[in-house]
Amino acid sequence: MNATNPDQINVILATDCGSTTTKAILIEKIDGHYRQTYRGEAPTTVEQPVADVTAGVINAATEVGELAGRRLVDEQGQLIRPVKPAGEGQPAEGCDIYISTSSAGGGLQMLVTGVVREMTAASAKRAALGAGAIVMDVIASNDRRKPHEQIQRIRELRPDMILMSGGTDGGTVEHVVRIAELIAPAKPQPRFGSGYRMPLIYAGNKEAAGLVREVFDDTVELSVVDNIRPVLERENLGPARDRIHDLFLEHVMAHAPGYDKLIAWTDAPIMPTPGAVGDILQQIAKARGINVVGVDIGGATTDVFSVFDGADGNPVFNRTVSANLGMSYSISNVCAETGMPNVLRWVHFDMDERELRNRVKNKMIRPTTIPQTLEALVFEQAVAREALRLAYIQHREFATTLKGVQQQRTVGDTFSQQKGGQSIVDNMKLDLLVASGGVLSHAPRMEQTAAMLIDAFEPEGVTELAKDSIFMMPHLGVLASVHPQAALEVFERDCLIYLGTCVAAKGRAKAGKNCFRYEISGEPINERGEMACGEIRRFPLSIEETAQIVIEPARGFDVGGGPGKRIEREVRGGEVGLILDARGRPLELPEDRDNCRSRVERWSRDLRLYSE
Amino acid sequence: MGDRGAGERFGVFGLKCEISDMRFQISDLKCQISRLRGAVRRLLVCWGALFWLLGLTGAGADAQEPPRPVSDVVAVDHPNDVGTAVDVSWTLSPDDKPNDEPIPDPNAVPSLLSGYHILRKQPGEESFVLVGKQSAQAGEFTDRKKVVRGEPYLYQVVAVGPGGTSAGVETAEAVTPVRGLFRTDRGWLAVILLLICGAVVAFIVVAKSGRELFIRKIPGLEAVDEAVGRATEMGRTCLFVPGILDINDIQTVAGITVLSHVASLTAEFGARLEVPTSRSLVMTTARETVAAAYLAEGRPDAYREDDIYYLTDEQFGYVASVTSKMMQEKPAACFYMGSFYAESLILAETGNAVGAIQVAGTAQPSQLPFFVAACDYTLIGEEFFAASAYLSGEPVQLGSLRGQDVGKMLVASLLIVGCVAATWASVTGSASANAVVTFLQNNVLGRGGFLP
Amino acid sequence: MATAYTPGLRVTRRMRYRARRVLPIAGDVLVGAGDKVASQDVVARTELPGDATPINLANQLSLTPADVPGCLLKQEGERVEAGEILARTKGIFGMFKGEYVSKVAGVIESASQVTGQVIIRGEPIPVEVRAFVTGQVIEAMPGEGVVVEADVSFVQGIFGIGGEAFGPIVMACEDPSQEFAPELVHEEMQGAVVIGGARMPGETIRRAIDVGAAAVVSGGMDDADLKEVLGYDLGVAITGTEEIGLTVIITEGFGEIAMARQTFALLSSRAGAAASVNGATQIRAGVLRPEIVIPLVGEAAEPEEDVPTATHGGGVLEEGTLVRIIRDPYFGMIGTVAGLPSEPQVLGSGSKARVLEVACESGEKLTVPRANVEIIGG
Repeated sequence: MNATNPDQINVILATDCGSTTTKAILIEKIDGHYRQTYRGEAPTTVEQPVADVTAGVINAATEVGELAGRRLVDEQGQLIRPVKPAGEGQPAEGCDIYISTSSAGGGLQMLVTGVVREMTAASAKRAALGAGAIVMDVIASNDRRKPHEQIQRIRELRPDMILMSGGTDGGTVEHVVRIAELIAPAKPQPRFGSGYRMPLIYAGNKEAAGLVREVFDDTVELSVVDNIRPVLERENLGPARDRIHDLFLEHVMAHAPGYDKLIAWTDAPIMPTPGAVGDILQQIAKARGINVVGVDIGGATTDVFSVFDGADGNPVFNRTVSANLGMSYSISNVCAETGMPNVLRWVHFDMDERELRNRVKNKMIRPTTIPQTLEALVFEQAVAREALRLAYIQHREFATTLKGVQQQRTVGDTFSQQKGGQSIVDNMKLDLLVASGGVLSHAPRMEQTAAMLIDAFEPEGVTELAKDSIFMMPHLGVLASVHPQAALEVFERDCLIYLGTCVAAKGRAKAGKNCFRYEISGEPINERGEMACGEIRRFPLSIEETAQIVIEPARGFDVGGGPGKRIEREVRGGEVGLILDARGRPLELPEDRDNCRSRVERWSRDLRLYSE
Repeated sequence: MGDRGAGERFGVFGLKCEISDMRFQISDLKCQISRLRGAVRRLLVCWGALFWLLGLTGAGADAQEPPRPVSDVVAVDHPNDVGTAVDVSWTLSPDDKPNDEPIPDPNAVPSLLSGYHILRKQPGEESFVLVGKQSAQAGEFTDRKKVVRGEPYLYQVVAVGPGGTSAGVETAEAVTPVRGLFRTDRGWLAVILLLICGAVVAFIVVAKSGRELFIRKIPGLEAVDEAVGRATEMGRTCLFVPGILDINDIQTVAGITVLSHVASLTAEFGARLEVPTSRSLVMTTARETVAAAYLAEGRPDAYREDDIYYLTDEQFGYVASVTSKMMQEKPAACFYMGSFYAESLILAETGNAVGAIQVAGTAQPSQLPFFVAACDYTLIGEEFFAASAYLSGEPVQLGSLRGQDVGKMLVASLLIVGCVAATWASVTGSASANAVVTFLQNNVLGRGGFLP
Repeated sequence: MATAYTPGLRVTRRMRYRARRVLPIAGDVLVGAGDKVASQDVVARTELPGDATPINLANQLSLTPADVPGCLLKQEGERVEAGEILARTKGIFGMFKGEYVSKVAGVIESASQVTGQVIIRGEPIPVEVRAFVTGQVIEAMPGEGVVVEADVSFVQGIFGIGGEAFGPIVMACEDPSQEFAPELVHEEMQGAVVIGGARMPGETIRRAIDVGAAAVVSGGMDDADLKEVLGYDLGVAITGTEEIGLTVIITEGFGEIAMARQTFALLSSRAGAAASVNGATQIRAGVLRPEIVIPLVGEAAEPEEDVPTATHGGGVLEEGTLVRIIRDPYFGMIGTVAGLPSEPQVLGSGSKARVLEVACESGEKLTVPRANVEIIGG
């Protein structure tokens, strides 16, 4: 890997090797600004018959090169680096740096252990998820399983890596060693064959490290890093995260076909795709000083990322993977988990339940099909709302302040004793909600994407909505580790498509009562009026435009200034525009089917969701 | 089966025999008492005759007239009792004049009447016997003097003055006191009782039917998980102090309920639990409770009896021992659940100093502020007792908890209505507000009956 | 992409089938390359380490963990039987000794001085791998497993539950569009792979379990019936380990749908032949579909020049290709490709997608997205 001066980087090639396709993008410096210019994709070639990931990378890079009119791959099938400037009659060719992410072969799958499920085990899980892993299971002293059941479970799983934590420094030794004693006899087998030893990271009580080392024989590759929770009051996820990335490259990647070559090619370490997405969201939150939630809904899983201010005021990053909430492979599971009535409440016409259940299963066994009729589309988007809603609930439960921390109290707290471990995800403080994933980014109308986001996440106050145009966030995440400025520029200009701003009032009242008064003043629109409870309204406001809004909520409603307090804000437009939502929070739909149907129908008409 | 049945029957008869034996003894006693009474009565009659004679001689010396008699003597059964009282009322004697002049006129003729005597007899008896006296200006008397339920009585009222006694006026008919089934004057109490008990029963039924009863989360209890978790991660012990009173104190009992919860958590987490007690009985109870909790969690092997021990009954000896233990072992979780006095702050401050998460619960109002200030979480008074229902999740406990809440709400709303009405009445002098206050005082809370 | 690859299920009268039969962990391979094997022959064997049972002796005997190894009557690596005394405390002056009687049998694997925990390893669990298909071993991977090859008739289903099963093919339905009613299941079908036609109700499956059939295969079934048979709502299509008494395979999809005529004809032509079936389905990256494999024996097995080996269907869409529409509103209809417009078109849902025209058997001409068809046959 060459150490390159960021100022001299003009052309960047980035790829993301997904489980089915490899996507390549080209970023060029144009007039002093970095812009994403071309993109191409090709099938991923990890599996037989090719079994070499670089073949797919070269195919994708070639396609980008053809589109850009710039040769990126030479005759030997190697990337051309560094840039060869244009000569006589010969255009410029090659790129300055090449970076990549990977989620091929199901990504990085990990087993995590800790002592107390809500404390060190939760911290370990946070570290693993933040590094971009899928956490297969969490083993803890209090996970309500008997030791032999825990051993059985470890034996069944075939993780890529194990992260062990537990105990504060100087804390419990016994519990940590006991769990090590469960892992050792279980003899966990790595997922990719028996070619290498199971990597195991120990990030627990440093006083127990020696004893843990004695427990394991040479079937595991043990590496010890700093405690993830040196004291209960503080998390120290960095060292464990970095070691996960290192081991991911050294062991897991190195055993996947062709990755040894790919690792040599890249100018920055290859990152697991979700880890890279997390990085770029953290960068953007830091740069703009805002709270961000990102979601990526796939066929099998849904990832939720968030950056919110923690208890100490510093931004805290959290990621969750809802393993069985997705739109194709897992669609049946979404319906099973939430129940058909919950899905159907978002559908504004009648459907036969038996027929529908068969359709859901048919989508599950043939995941690549797309909805042809409007009816099928509406149903699929209804499922998406529920999948997102459930994934967000899981995320909120996971993203909490630390548990097990001593509280300081005064007599004034007598009647308001707050518990530790409160969720730090607060929809009222949320500034930007970013959507990505097929059902959200490929919805025929942007209004549908916005509506799905609002219905599932229920943002409160003033929230900007955006979608990732071509799922570029992973590429930018790795780029951020090399050239943060380039990453941020591309993120703002090309990656995000702003849908607009949603202004929603928190509170509940009977439908028809006044919810808030609004006054919008700006270049294209100058309007004022009143929103009644249960209403939602859209005002066109294009991407370049902004407007000044004044919202005066009725008593009991809050739009960010406190209950009944007036706010004044500048809002940003987008493809959809400004959406005023007076449906109340938490959003509740009528229980009665007819009532619910007519209400949902009115909302979809007001937002012009479907062209009828 | 047959044998046992016979045995039971025998037992029942045996009991009855004993009771009848006792009755015999009692009636013997009664015989003796009545004999004694006869002697006393005879003595009294002798003395009475002597005084009467003296009185006659005295009356002859003074020339004042006796007062005129009363009229319309009525005796009725005293309402709302078990039949041991009779109300007697009469129209005052014409000589009974109110003395309403501020300064008594020294020249005025002294009143002829000084009071009334109420006498009683049973039909068929010879003479009336004095049962009570009433002062002038009073036209009522309640006779509670050995009135026997179901026996008929005749009454006579005599006006008494310096000049002698008037002629006695008798009731026209005999009155028979009876037992009243309901105390209609306390009707509101019945209503309130029905409301509260009804609510309790109703909520128990609801809870038994499987419907979720919402009980507010008590942060202090939720925090027990966190505290035990902290102790586990830090490899330290959990300390549980069940107060310094014995097991007969209700707060200690509530503390033991919480101990059971704490113990099931330490069993689950695999943390060590220490319970020093200052009463031997509390130690025994705590051992039983903790052992049961470990068994329920499937970890009977992890239960260590020696960690639950008795120190001393001496208040400060106990505290000194516990605090020194805290300084040595630095527990990461301390629970103070029970009755505490002066030691509350000593314990809580020590715990705070060693960096433990502390959860306290007590119903001692004077100790609560100390706990709130020094502990992470505090169960306040009633919360402490509610905790047991909350933890057990038993329908009966949950139902009564909710039912009692209804009762508290009722009391609170009565208090608020009363305060508002009284304030309003005193500020504006409004008659209707006054009526409300009177109604609350006399009818709802007093003995004024159902309606004014 | 000029040449669009479209997925499909393979249904073929004759192909060369290779089964890779490997052990989960290293073990013994019992056959060598060139050996002939029958479908149910064991080709490799190994022993999984037995269940490990942890016992916390420190707590059981009220000892400090450091004293535990000293109190063990058997040392690490020695065997202990259930009911045998595993450890005895030293007691006070030789009295008040505590004992722990082992509740499980096995070998003492470890005794910890830190936690006081003793791990007893139970009997090893034997694991055997069968040949699955009658044929010839073409490769033996020492310690790992074998590759068995055979010329077979091959039918890929769309979804199945249950694992590997073996039996002769028995036809229950006379026509692919006939509902596979419970009455069609007979006692003689014990141990057989029973082929139905269209939808099979849950009652049929239960009846087949009762008579002891090895597997049932039909065109479709209702999701509600699947839930009833399994006892839970299947969330993710990863199957193969269910134990409901037999293997179930559907060839087309969920709902009221007839088995493809071609599939039905192939299966009925091989009625009576011994078949190997596997219901394992995994719809994820590295997709796995249920299979019905019928080895060709005797004259049918005469070698031919060009025998395809691919186990997956699919191919390139051209005019005239036989396809099945696999999404509502035309789910299950079969026809030939009549046109492939190159420009994307706007669908009824409002999305833009590349489409194709399908001439149906009924003569109707339908326009559907290319993603919503699959190629039949192979």
